[in-house]
Amino acid sequence: MADAATHDHGHEDTRGFFTRWFMSTNHKDIGILYLFTAGIVGFIAVAFSVYMRMELMEPGVQYMCMEGASFTAQDDCTPNGHIWNVLVTAHGILMMFFVLIPALFGGFGNYFMPLQIGAPDMAFPRLNNLSYWLFVAGSALAVASVLSPGGNGQLGSGVGWVLYPPLSTTEGGYSMDLAIFAVHVSGASSILGAINIITTFLNMRAPGMTLFKVPLFAWSVFITAWMILLALPVLAGAITMLLTDRNFGTAFFDPAGGGDPVLYQHILWFFGHPEVYIIIIPGFGIISHVIATFSRKPIFGYLPMVWAMIAIAVLGFIVWAHHMYTVGMSLTQQTYFMLATMVIAVPTGIKIFSWIATMWRGSVSFETPMLWAFGFLFLFTVGGVTGIVLSQAPIDRIYHDTYYVVAHFHYVMSLGAVFALFAGIYYWMGKMSGRQYPEWAGKLHFWTMFIGANVTFFPQHFLGRQGMPRRYIDYPEAYALWNYVSSIGAFISFASFLFFIGIVFYTLKFGARITEKNYWNEHADTLEWTLPSPPPEHTFEQLPKREDWDKQPAH
Amino acid sequence: MPVIWSISPKAPGTTPGAFELASSDGAEYRLALMPHLSMGPRGFVRIIAISAAVLALPLLGVLGTPVLWGLLPFAGLALWALWYALSRNSAERRALREDLCLTKERIEITRTNPRKPTQHWHANPYWVRVKLAEKGGALENYLTLEGNGREVELGAFLSPEERASLYHELSRALRHLR
Repeated sequence: MADAATHDHGHEDTRGFFTRWFMSTNHKDIGILYLFTAGIVGFIAVAFSVYMRMELMEPGVQYMCMEGASFTAQDDCTPNGHIWNVLVTAHGILMMFFVLIPALFGGFGNYFMPLQIGAPDMAFPRLNNLSYWLFVAGSALAVASVLSPGGNGQLGSGVGWVLYPPLSTTEGGYSMDLAIFAVHVSGASSILGAINIITTFLNMRAPGMTLFKVPLFAWSVFITAWMILLALPVLAGAITMLLTDRNFGTAFFDPAGGGDPVLYQHILWFFGHPEVYIIIIPGFGIISHVIATFSRKPIFGYLPMVWAMIAIAVLGFIVWAHHMYTVGMSLTQQTYFMLATMVIAVPTGIKIFSWIATMWRGSVSFETPMLWAFGFLFLFTVGGVTGIVLSQAPIDRIYHDTYYVVAHFHYVMSLGAVFALFAGIYYWMGKMSGRQYPEWAGKLHFWTMFIGANVTFFPQHFLGRQGMPRRYIDYPEAYALWNYVSSIGAFISFASFLFFIGIVFYTLKFGARITEKNYWNEHADTLEWTLPSPPPEHTFEQLPKREDWDKQPAH
Repeated sequence: MPVIWSISPKAPGTTPGAFELASSDGAEYRLALMPHLSMGPRGFVRIIAISAAVLALPLLGVLGTPVLWGLLPFAGLALWALWYALSRNSAERRALREDLCLTKERIEITRTNPRKPTQHWHANPYWVRVKLAEKGGALENYLTLEGNGREVELGAFLSPEERASLYHELSRALRHLR
């Protein structure tokens, strides 16, 4: 026992800058580090996509030339498809592994999951630090892969983020190997982070907080962690075999040596489909809190909300082959994957309708986070509906690898997950920084982004229905109109993203100081709202009081 | 509830509060305090079982191909890492405990720490003062014992409500023995 007199509960923050941010073992600091790093990588990935949209704006190739890539249109240009392929690949890999998962799961998960369950920190704080730095190392490798010698005697590898063999096993240079290492390292980072979060969630909940009293965001992060733990080892195995196929003469996936490239696709998508839910489920958690707060009502149907997330996670593991209807599966297999995929609409529908029911007869107000939540609800539903269309094997024959697919997955991920991310940022920015963003700026950011993103991606449905294939640098003139519109939308979105960066730095430096603990209303009722803004270095070293978190004893 | 009292010799139906019924002669109170652990062994088994089942799913599909040997090590490693992390964290949290032994002659507290050496304190119960600082202590409902020239804390890792009820139980036990 500690002597009462010597018990040190002062906890002044005496850490220097380097100690605090480079040797951090504090879950809140690591969460902030994750958010900022993901933001930087996100900027790179967004810049790539804007450059791609510039190229697609007009038929013909104007910017990505053999003579060199430039930002001004060149007159005599020999098209350089390799640059295009590299950008498509890098945009996909960066967004999937290094932006959305680190921001939603690493950033908000680290920061708010321990707070919401009343834990003093993560179960393994130093492991947490390791996860973060592995993520940084992985991001560096991924960026290095774009700039190192690759296929076609040029820089970078352009094989698509799915790294299908035999394309990925025959791509020249070492760029491909760097990309594989990048995914390895980020996978290790995510798995360690997931184990940390699972242990924290299971062992360190406040006394009396049984599983079905845990706030929805903490639940969503726990489910995500579990999906990461179960899906990512499969990916690690698959890309390790790619690596040995490339470098050590094995033939796991090379038909010439008796391997099976379609088996790689099965394994990749066994990981890949859970992956997209790994990205979106923390978003579900954030949206639940935002909608409940700004409808001034408790969330409708807490228990079905939790079970819907669990069901989505479970179903996510048994529908992978709907990404590959065209590889020659039997009719029975296709029927199964088609029906299993459609079943996902049930739990998703439960969530959408529960959010709507939460707003029903609530006192809804449209602060910035709520606008983003509304945007999420609309866009995610649009993406979900096109998902049902694509889930049908016969229709997928027509839409496969067209811009319809591009529009679908950008609606659920680029718009769904990113809007949830922004909802979370505006909801918690004051809590994390102690300063509030200017409300008009947040709203302007929302409206420009909402319009820009829709103008970008909605016309891509039309392009897909007209039959424009994805992953090409050029297209016939018949597709010119909607490509032009889509590019305009991309520029609006990019401008809005730049404006957002401005908002963040303005807020951190000049934003209005927040003095209340709970600057929204009493329906923001999870434990982080009982702490000052920003919370002190150490939180919940003593257990929280039950009445602080047990607001709805009914469930 | 991680607060466990045991009293010997135990009269039927004796609780720490029922001191009128029990004689103080030769009575020995023992108290064990442990931090709250939200998952028990049953939960651990379930978590590992579900994880193993889902990890086995892709492995079943590649049975009989060389690809199995590419996936198996990673699946095994992930399962082992989860097992190790959960059991290590539980063990560490269980390693922290405070044991109090109280007789007419002697009160003794032993605190077992996960990484630091064990700490001891003992005193004559007759002179021991139990204090509960509802506000102004290091914690809410800060429970301390003063005696033998030192003031030591008890149950800092419990919830404030638990410390408050512990204070009453301990005070009754001390009164009983005096």
